[in-house]
Amino acid sequence: MRLADSRRRLRAAVICLALLLSLFGGRLLQLQGLDATAYATEAAKGRMTTVTIPATRGTITDRNGIALAATVDAFDITADQTLVQHPRATAAALAPVLRLPAAALEATLSGTRRFVYVAKGVSPDVWRRVRDLNLSGTDGLPGIFGEPTSRRTYPAGTVGANLVGFVGADGHGLGGVEYALDKSLAGTDGKITYERGPGGRRIPTGETVGRDAVPGRDVTLTIDRDIQWMAQQEIAAKVKETGAKSGTVIVMDPRTGDLLAVATAPTFDPANPGAAPEAARGNRALTEAYEPGSTGKVITASALIENGAVTPDTPIDVPNRLRRAGKTFKDFHDHPTQKLTYTGTLAKSSNIGTILAAEKLGLPRLYPYLKAFGVGTPTGLGLPGEASGAVLPPSRWSGTTGYTMAFGQGYSVNAVQMASVFATVANDGVRVAPRLVAARAGADGTMHATAPSPRTRVIRPATAQTVRLMLETVLGEGGTAPLARIAGYRVAGKTGTAQRFDPTCSCYRGFTMSFIGLAPVDKPRLVVAVTLQAPKSGIGGGSTGGPVFRDVMSFALQTLHIPPTGTRPPGLRIERN
Amino acid sequence: MTAGYGAAPYGATRRSTATALLGRDAPLRRLDWALLLAVLAMGVLGTALVWSATRQAALDSGGDPQAYIKHHVINMAIGMVLGLAASLFDYRMLRAYAPAVYLLSMAGLVAVLSPLGATINGSHSWIVLPAGFSVQPSELAKVALVVGMAMLLSEKRDAEVEPRNTDVVLALAFAAVPLGLVMLQPDLGTALVISALVLGVIAVSGADIRWVVGLVMGGALVAFVAVQVGFLKPYQLDRFTAFLNPAADPKGAGYNVRQAQIAICSGGIHGQGLFAGAQTQGKFVPEQQTDFIFTVAGEELGFVGAVGLILLLGIVLWRAMRIAAQAEDLFGRLLATGIVCWFAFQAFENIGMTLGIMPVTGVPLPFVSYGGSSMFANLLAIGLLQNVHMRRYA
Repeated sequence: MRLADSRRRLRAAVICLALLLSLFGGRLLQLQGLDATAYATEAAKGRMTTVTIPATRGTITDRNGIALAATVDAFDITADQTLVQHPRATAAALAPVLRLPAAALEATLSGTRRFVYVAKGVSPDVWRRVRDLNLSGTDGLPGIFGEPTSRRTYPAGTVGANLVGFVGADGHGLGGVEYALDKSLAGTDGKITYERGPGGRRIPTGETVGRDAVPGRDVTLTIDRDIQWMAQQEIAAKVKETGAKSGTVIVMDPRTGDLLAVATAPTFDPANPGAAPEAARGNRALTEAYEPGSTGKVITASALIENGAVTPDTPIDVPNRLRRAGKTFKDFHDHPTQKLTYTGTLAKSSNIGTILAAEKLGLPRLYPYLKAFGVGTPTGLGLPGEASGAVLPPSRWSGTTGYTMAFGQGYSVNAVQMASVFATVANDGVRVAPRLVAARAGADGTMHATAPSPRTRVIRPATAQTVRLMLETVLGEGGTAPLARIAGYRVAGKTGTAQRFDPTCSCYRGFTMSFIGLAPVDKPRLVVAVTLQAPKSGIGGGSTGGPVFRDVMSFALQTLHIPPTGTRPPGLRIERN
Repeated sequence: MTAGYGAAPYGATRRSTATALLGRDAPLRRLDWALLLAVLAMGVLGTALVWSATRQAALDSGGDPQAYIKHHVINMAIGMVLGLAASLFDYRMLRAYAPAVYLLSMAGLVAVLSPLGATINGSHSWIVLPAGFSVQPSELAKVALVVGMAMLLSEKRDAEVEPRNTDVVLALAFAAVPLGLVMLQPDLGTALVISALVLGVIAVSGADIRWVVGLVMGGALVAFVAVQVGFLKPYQLDRFTAFLNPAADPKGAGYNVRQAQIAICSGGIHGQGLFAGAQTQGKFVPEQQTDFIFTVAGEELGFVGAVGLILLLGIVLWRAMRIAAQAEDLFGRLLATGIVCWFAFQAFENIGMTLGIMPVTGVPLPFVSYGGSSMFANLLAIGLLQNVHMRRYA
């Protein structure tokens, strides 16, 4: 064989090579030119994953813009165990920053899982500190990642908790305003579809399609944080002192229906709602219906004065016992027959006196006034679980119903409804429906004031003024609530010590003690309603509710810079000689 | 044609340095520039692909995103120095050193099987050296084998006489040692490359055509028996056959093949762009900076880039064959032939497996894949090719 022969073999090899390279070219053309779309689509489908971008939840503020609930940026710390080369050292570095035990962290970081949560919802500051950590020779902690998320915070703590409510693990409202306005607060979640690698992490340069999240809308409440705080402090202390089952304080502006405070005790921490029993997480001022007792005599008085059935001076002789419809009625305290004015029956809270006065009008004619003052009608606040109370029409009354209704038993209300009755009297007879939301954000984020609450006239201005003057005597000499007086201000109010219906035994057991008042009498600006359910100690609404009323009302008057009117009470007589 | 060792071309050494470097007869003028430029172009392309293939993984693990690329560039620089060194002396002098080079590389292969060896990525073919370096003796053994085969089949005769059968037997025995050692690692891919190299050199040496036919048939028989007897481990067989039907086991043996094909298909005509391939940046294809680097080219540079890479490879092989054809003597020709067969088969195997037309065996793509030992060996071989080319006196 000659050298030329091996040259021929080389030439054959060149042809082979050319064929081979053409084969590659052809195969490439087949894959990339012809099959490309089908393959790429199939491949991309396999890589694509859709993730929800949570919309930032709207902020809930008090009337002055102070945040009561806000959503802040947070991070979930995650790990790819296969990338964590030194679980022990990494855990030791993380432990002090995350404030988690190193041993538990080490267990979380060890293994072959490509995605585990290390800590959820840490603050951006903590994530920054985690990101700045490093082991010797590494830039950052290998395998440790931070995924942006958000967290609901309640900067005011328990202040307003029962109104504001709380959110569940999914970030949606489960109580209070968080629940009632959830749709608006939540916004619309966005969606992002992106390509991810085998470890589940996003491919930075991959295809991405999606739609932005629409942030939730802010809500401004009518609540004043400071007054709310004071009210909560006071009622919590009183519930504790008296061993009551629960208690509420409502502060309301009678001119607008704005609720400045709705305090309940016991309350809960909205950041950790699971720690409190379910009953403490609701809003008792709306969810609990109870028989108001003597505070209901304000409705009776309004009806009687409006119709001219009595005047403040109308003499009423009050015996110790009164028999009606086969039942003997009595007052809270035994007493000899008293010579009172009609004003006096209110000041001393006489049930018998009220029945005798109401008979001058006719008991069934009280019913339209109960309805007009809002008894039995939902408040319209829209918060979850409201019990709107119940009042029977005269056609369904039993023999004694009319008599008990005159002094506030035999029908039920919630605390906000009862506060609204006094607000109507305070607002010269025009009922303004209670309001909790002052403003809401529009689509562009600017705040728009909520439409004013509907107004309905219930009694004439003169009637309302007269009733207020009569109620002023409750705090006066011989009245039931001297403890509710506030130095410098003219205050009117009414005590209530009602028999409490206990659903656990379907019987009357214990009392509902309350004091509802307004100030200043001649130019009312505020109504404060204090209610205690089933206190174990305390004699009556005046001595238990009165001091709470006094402290909360004083604080609210000062906070809102409401000056005393400087006028003097006319000195209505309560007793005849 | 004269085959003498005349001093005429080296008369230049007596002239000025500039003339020595650039003069009409200077070695630089005799370089195969097309070969050199094609190799450099593949190296540059490879650098970009290695960077794209490794950056995201390094970022994810908190490492230096340029760690691989720095190593790669350093490897290429060292390789070029080695290549330069291999081109400076007259290649015929290699015959004197061939036995030493051969023994040294066989010692390296034996060392791999000793406790000095290390398993990296499932292949027990490494020796880990201090300071973070590691070498793969089988890559350098290819160079030694090429030199040794060329010497054995050209030594005892001039070009006019075909190799005697004893020469061929001796050459086969000579090749059997590294082949056996590589099979013990086991590194099937390198073993196939060595087989192709041996077959090519024997074919071009002018040996009886029956040797060539016989070796091919014998190889097929050995393969058949190996499969039947169960010499191959099941995973090797699975990997080997997965290319026939990657969909059969897409998460297992067929995973690489399938992901590689998805990557290449995703490239389309123009590619996704460097650093922008979803399959690549998502690290779906294992070993994408080494054995599966072609998928990165396919996905990110598309048909245009992949064909460009194949064309560059074609230029390298064509120039290498041309060097073989124009070689002054049989030793030079067989040297060049062995290198051509090595590159051609290794590239065919490497690209073929990513395209699903060859079974999956782990061999790097010459000049493109990440890996120091193979880069050194490849550039050393290019230096030898240039050496043969520069010293032809035609």
